Amino acid sequence: MGNRGGVELTDEPIRFEYSSRASSSIMTSPSYNEERIPCGNFDCQPGLLLPTSTVFMASRFAQSVCAPVVVFSLAVIFADLCGSERPFASAEDARAVDSGTDDAGSKGLTAEGAVEFVQSYCIDCHVGEDAESGLDLEGFASAEDVASSIEAWNRIATRVHEGQMPPSDSEMPSQQSRSAFVRWIRDTIYQAVCDDGVQPGGPMLRRLNRTEYANTVRDLLGIPINAGHALPDDGAGGEGFDNAAETLFISPIYAEKYLDAARSAIGHALKDPDDRERIITATPNDKRSPEQAAREVLAGFLPRAFRRPASTEEIDEYTQLFNQVYEEDQSYISAIEFTLVAAMVSPKFLFLFEQAAETDEPTLVSQYEIASRLSYFLWASMPDDELMRLAAQGKLHDDDVLEQQVARMLRSDVDRRGLRRGAKVREFATSFVEQWLGTRALGREFKPDKSVALKYDSELEGGMKYEPIFFFEDLLADNRSLLNLIDSDFTYVNRTLARHYMVKGEFREQPKKVELSEKDHRGGLLGMSAVLAVSSFPHRTSPVLRGKWVLETLLGTPPPPAPPNVPALEETVDAAQPSSLRERLEKHRSDPVCASCHQAMDPLGFGLENYDVLGRWRTVADGVAIDASGQLPSGETFNGPDELKGLLMDRKEQFMRNLTSKMLGYALARGLTNEDACVVESITRKLAEDDYKAQTLILEIVKSVPFRYKQGS
Amino acid sequence: MNVYLDDETNRQMPLSRRTLLRGAGAALALPWLEAMMPGKVSAAESEGKAPEDSPLRMAALFVPNGVRQDMWTPEKTGRDFDLSPTLEPLADVKDQLLVLTKLWNQASNFGDGHYVKCSGFLTCTTINKSLGIDLNCNGRSMDQVAADYAGKLTPLPSLELGIDPVTTGVDTNVGYTRVYGSHIAWSGPTSPLARELNPHLVFDRLFRAGNPNKGAAQRDRLLLDRVLEDADQLKHRLGAADRQRMEEYLQSVRSVEKRLQNQDAGGATQWQPLVKLDRQSRPPEQRPDAYVEQVRLMLDMIALAFQTDTTRVCTFMFGNAVSGRNFSFLDGVSGGHHDTSHHQNNEDKLRQYQLINRWHVEQYAYLLEKLRSMKEREGTVLDNSMILYGSGLRDGNSHNPHNLPILLGGSGGGRIATGQHLSFGRDTPLANLYAAMLNAFGTGHERFADSTGILPGVLS
Repeated sequence: MGNRGGVELTDEPIRFEYSSRASSSIMTSPSYNEERIPCGNFDCQPGLLLPTSTVFMASRFAQSVCAPVVVFSLAVIFADLCGSERPFASAEDARAVDSGTDDAGSKGLTAEGAVEFVQSYCIDCHVGEDAESGLDLEGFASAEDVASSIEAWNRIATRVHEGQMPPSDSEMPSQQSRSAFVRWIRDTIYQAVCDDGVQPGGPMLRRLNRTEYANTVRDLLGIPINAGHALPDDGAGGEGFDNAAETLFISPIYAEKYLDAARSAIGHALKDPDDRERIITATPNDKRSPEQAAREVLAGFLPRAFRRPASTEEIDEYTQLFNQVYEEDQSYISAIEFTLVAAMVSPKFLFLFEQAAETDEPTLVSQYEIASRLSYFLWASMPDDELMRLAAQGKLHDDDVLEQQVARMLRSDVDRRGLRRGAKVREFATSFVEQWLGTRALGREFKPDKSVALKYDSELEGGMKYEPIFFFEDLLADNRSLLNLIDSDFTYVNRTLARHYMVKGEFREQPKKVELSEKDHRGGLLGMSAVLAVSSFPHRTSPVLRGKWVLETLLGTPPPPAPPNVPALEETVDAAQPSSLRERLEKHRSDPVCASCHQAMDPLGFGLENYDVLGRWRTVADGVAIDASGQLPSGETFNGPDELKGLLMDRKEQFMRNLTSKMLGYALARGLTNEDACVVESITRKLAEDDYKAQTLILEIVKSVPFRYKQGS
Repeated sequence: MNVYLDDETNRQMPLSRRTLLRGAGAALALPWLEAMMPGKVSAAESEGKAPEDSPLRMAALFVPNGVRQDMWTPEKTGRDFDLSPTLEPLADVKDQLLVLTKLWNQASNFGDGHYVKCSGFLTCTTINKSLGIDLNCNGRSMDQVAADYAGKLTPLPSLELGIDPVTTGVDTNVGYTRVYGSHIAWSGPTSPLARELNPHLVFDRLFRAGNPNKGAAQRDRLLLDRVLEDADQLKHRLGAADRQRMEEYLQSVRSVEKRLQNQDAGGATQWQPLVKLDRQSRPPEQRPDAYVEQVRLMLDMIALAFQTDTTRVCTFMFGNAVSGRNFSFLDGVSGGHHDTSHHQNNEDKLRQYQLINRWHVEQYAYLLEKLRSMKEREGTVLDNSMILYGSGLRDGNSHNPHNLPILLGGSGGGRIATGQHLSFGRDTPLANLYAAMLNAFGTGHERFADSTGILPGVLS
């Protein structure tokens, strides 16, 4: 979770009386089950639209009903010892782990407990005027103190979570009380922020990333080219996506690159007579001067390039540029081509730009702004004619229209042969899935070692890469349950991947849907070879990396970094006595410093040991039979991937919460704030009520406050 | 004929012919390079100082994941040192080499094992812990300080090159965006510089910069004026933070405009290439998996850029921080780079680690020898260059920035006292070396970042 919210909120007074919350422990609300009201009735999103009193009521509801009072067992089970990033559970969780409620609740901390923690471990240095880092914790006595300086407490939570504080030469808390303290801080911040009503982020200003640039040029000119191939590639920020505004830098090299790219794209488009006629919609003739023709072309082109109506001044300005160039050599085509290139190097084309709100209050984004927000979210490209028309008609904030548009935009048709045709939603599926799962690394950061990859070729790599993408596209287009991501009875394979999986059927190069049976040992993300490969080393599997991948990617509860100065693990390899990977890794768990996190990570990875580096099924590795059994810190035991998926299914709320966070971060193209956590929570609940339907997730995000509103200046 | 494989090259290069063939794919001939190769100059010929009017160049080559310690540092110090096993490939250019021991980068000591040590490698500052918002390296990289000084004299102020795309995603485990692990050049605290990853695109930039189309320049300026005005219109509607982003784009556009102006100006201010680039010599489009060739081609591009004087400042990343690149193309190596660097004192992993280290040093030697083969006036391009080579951490197992593996090649127009192994007092600031390099470069700097002075013994 980003700390942006903390920054913004620090100076803001908390509007609501806090003591009512603080007086009873958030963690141990005894009356949860009795008082439970279906969370669906509570919608914290439109908080800012409601009168203050309503928000207050809602927040009281939230607190007694849906707030993270509940059960930490979810996060706890996997991530207990390592702490949990997003420990907020919902009613559904409570039902799911009903029997575990008491036990989990007792692990929580009260405000008194937090004060005691500070007194025991922090106060020695953080006291008085000379307090370390200027952080004086002497007066800390209640949750209100956290709520009134959220930024500082966010930092404290991070430092304690990551084991940087208390320093190693002082008295150390147990790992358990460490996580309980961190959880208490984060829950307290969550409460404070959500009770304050949801706030959207600022107006968007970011350049198109490389993918968006290529797609936009493709759609603007209507020609199937990749105009972005020579642009520098983008890094990721926020929730891990390369559309995050904060990491879309501009280096000096960009202007030159954009100029080249626009020139070659337009040049390419004008070569074909049909394309040329579509773009150069008017040419001079007896009745039309070159200037008039140019004006006509620009009046059509500029609004599409700028994704909004172009003003008369803007059309004048570009017509003037046309005139200047035309005067030189009297060549209409070369002058208009040149003018269109200019429009494509303009920041009005290259940047997603939203007008700042005129008041300090959160404001609906404009019709054209939401058209772009929708199209860059669901297509990674510019709005099409229909979106632009609806924007012009002022209809894009209607819930019904949004619903129709989302369904339309997610559509992907299947042809007679059962193949999914090219669909714009695939751009979204690709960008989101590859970055969420980390499978973009396949063939880039991850290349298998030749010792394990004799039959590894581009068709197999393609099949591996596209399996999760087509799978996700299927869930979106056909509005299936997102629980299929945990386990499913189908997947998508091409010819080579089918052989790799030993799945029977008629396949060609393009991925095609295939029904799975139990003996296939596939289904869900954990059976997908791309996932299994990118969480391996090039030459061998790594239960540690795979376990970390499950915690981090599926559950959103990354373990903290390894403590500094970890003693090197001496790995004695005795050739005469082959030891299994499991035996070697047992050392992780015999050392208490390592054990606290590896007890949560390693077993998850061992549960996937039946899959080799490239995800092929196996029963023996290094001459030793695979032992895919494990025990989680919670005490639950399992054997093999199927049972592991069962345990994940028990934690579906945590999984959905994490998926929702990732999706919201992608949709907003920025890192999430403390405040966004409230929105995530509300959407996660709606998702549970609607059988985890994929389109519900998208639609709820599209209708959410941060997606439809922008903050005032 | 493939110049990599001519007898002369083969003799000079420690890389075996077999390795090259396997790595390169025998089909890939590179005749274009030949055109670029002026007559070879022997080591003896290349000694001696360059005339004052030859331009000085500076490059920094970054290697991820540290080195195997016991095979890196030469035993003896001074002029009389013997190359260590890992440094052996530099035998032919030993007289043009400085081995620097016990330098450290204090500012990168905390944070995490890799990202801090990558982004902070040339800045000697501590970067902000961030997934994106608040991304800040809190300084500028020393190459950009050099580019401030020399950048206006050449068509391209600096070149940023790499092999790996920016690593996917953010690292939620340690709380850093991987953007940090993919950049060493920072033009400002919040401006990492994008790198070019394709050798043929680098070539195109070099070529265009050296062969401006004069007719088009005037037109292009009209276009850029339009773009600048559009940016200006938007800028006025933005908040302060976003204005900064728009300003970045404005600057980017202005830099193109400035280049056009210079081309138009004619006369004394007009830049002339020292050697003309031949369009025929454009490198081939690369197979995406041809790492070995891609590295070679990038190093060739650095050499061309310096030889033609298209730029005088360049950075290059062999890989991103935490790179797990599979080095099994080397005989005897089976693992990924990062995994191998966590050797845990395992004999076999240490052996493989050293082979990877040595391969990188071989590439460095290739660049130095290539620059030395490029004759200019009385000396060679290498004589007029300072080529830094190093990693942001010492040992991949312990990740600390003490006693970094640092080399400097080229005598910087006679200003660098090469041919020595210098060992300093424990924890001498790396920034002291950068201060020395900037000083030799002519920027007038006596200090850089957390330096405490100019590193003694480096300047001649």
